[in-house]
Amino acid sequence: MISAERAIRTLRRDLTISTVLRGVLFTGLFAAATMVPMNGAGMYAVAALLGLSMAWAMVSIQAARRSYLTGDSPSLIASGQFAEAEEQIEKEIRSFWQFKSVRLRGLHHLAVLRHAQRQWRESALLSEALLRQRLGAMPALARTTRLMLADSLLELGDLPGAYQALLTMYAQRLSLNEAMNLLVVQLDYESRIGAWESMLRNLRHKVQLVELLPSNSSARAQAMLALAAIRRGMPELAGWLRRRAELLVDVNELTTHRPILKEVWT
Amino acid sequence: MPHYNLAVTESATVPISPPPFLDVATLLEASRPVQRVRWLSYVLTTFVVITLIGLVEGSRASPFMKSLQTTTGILILPAVLLATIQSVMNMRSYRDQQRQLDAIEEMIQLRRWEPAGLLLNRFLSGPVRSVGLWAQALVDLASLLGRHHRFDDAMAVQTFVIENELLDDQSDFFVRLARAMAMLREDHLVDADRAIGDLRKRDPDRMSGGLALVEIFRDVKTGHPDEAIKLFEKHLPAMQQQLGHRVADAHALVARAHDLLGQEPEARAAYERATLLAPPAELQRRYPELAKLAEKFAPSIAPMEVA
Repeated sequence: MISAERAIRTLRRDLTISTVLRGVLFTGLFAAATMVPMNGAGMYAVAALLGLSMAWAMVSIQAARRSYLTGDSPSLIASGQFAEAEEQIEKEIRSFWQFKSVRLRGLHHLAVLRHAQRQWRESALLSEALLRQRLGAMPALARTTRLMLADSLLELGDLPGAYQALLTMYAQRLSLNEAMNLLVVQLDYESRIGAWESMLRNLRHKVQLVELLPSNSSARAQAMLALAAIRRGMPELAGWLRRRAELLVDVNELTTHRPILKEVWT
Repeated sequence: MPHYNLAVTESATVPISPPPFLDVATLLEASRPVQRVRWLSYVLTTFVVITLIGLVEGSRASPFMKSLQTTTGILILPAVLLATIQSVMNMRSYRDQQRQLDAIEEMIQLRRWEPAGLLLNRFLSGPVRSVGLWAQALVDLASLLGRHHRFDDAMAVQTFVIENELLDDQSDFFVRLARAMAMLREDHLVDADRAIGDLRKRDPDRMSGGLALVEIFRDVKTGHPDEAIKLFEKHLPAMQQQLGHRVADAHALVARAHDLLGQEPEARAAYERATLLAPPAELQRRYPELAKLAEKFAPSIAPMEVA
């Protein structure tokens, strides 16, 4: 099993080396290009130019070929095949000849895996390391990582950290899936700080969103809304939400993971 | 290795007038991915050949050859740069199509069928950038056609996707499930039974909640309510876990099964559970067989805060 610290170290080292290599390659290309018109060295310069260009192309092709590998791990994680996903991700992270974006995605997949395994500290560490990278060209990955970080920090009981992670999400345009996941994390956060009023705001829209979520997240979100309804003295709404949650998951499992929700079933 | 029963066209075909709304034949034809001419790779190969000749000939090369080699040396870097720019532009255009498709899928999820249909019609009216995106768009097309109760068309698209092996195993399984459901809706019971048998072989551990739902529907449809109830009881945990709010479908169908057996209290309770998770109109749209239940039993009423 690859540890978070080790994965982060490997990523940093590989990114530094590949930056240096790219610099060397560019310098070589530039030097060869300037030597082309010179008498005597012309043909050798062309050969060097060609050789370096082909090396560049081969590295790119190799990386593109390997990048196909990264497609598998999310579905393996989703289907609960953690051991296979671990193996796949390890290959993604340890493969040196890889695009930067693919390496970053590999680290992201490791964070997702640790999150799915409920290893919150590892997941938070990996997410933080990822968010320290420049992710301008990968805004969706940055948003998903931030959401995962907020959730992991919530699980670790770090409410200010979770708040900071959530705060930046509101200024961004989110996809439907991101908005749904943000809602679940936000409800979790608000239930911990007792923001019951805020939880029940825009309720119709929230209920519409949670209906699209997978069973576990949907049940958790509806149970939290039920808790808010109890605290705000709305028993009919609380009962309706509670019965819906009961039809989606095993209540014992739900309350084991979120003891605060026991109040909904007492 | 997937094989495509498709003649890949050499260049983009732009339709002169917009095709009819969600016309399957037109959209399948117009949306085929285009194989682009890789002229830059031909240019680069020529440069490689000239350089190699230059290296072999050395100082014996003719003045013409020498000037050609110098020109090659000067042009090689811009050509490599051009190739890089072209691949960046290709990637950008691919991402653009991916974004369009994501937006369409969000609309489908939010049940905004009308705009989703219009956008998908436009999306599939021209060549798609990759086979992956194409397959994804065709799956969405089949889903929209099902929504419009055009099940024969939906099956045609699903069969096309399956026969051409456009998807990975997992997605292929879901398309086969959707096709079996469409077959049942169109009363192609023999075909549906065969399709279910095939799906069972692909899911030997019987872990799929979706497959259980299709089997329950078949049993209700063919008048085997006992079997439907047994299946429901056996596979409820898997359906709960995998179907999300769509587990409402299973509760609704089992309500119909109880109703067929004259077990009114059980039928009422199951219908109440189903309508707690999904609106009665939506359930009836998916399964017209439930119309009788709506006449007999009261649905669960949502509190006014969310109604």
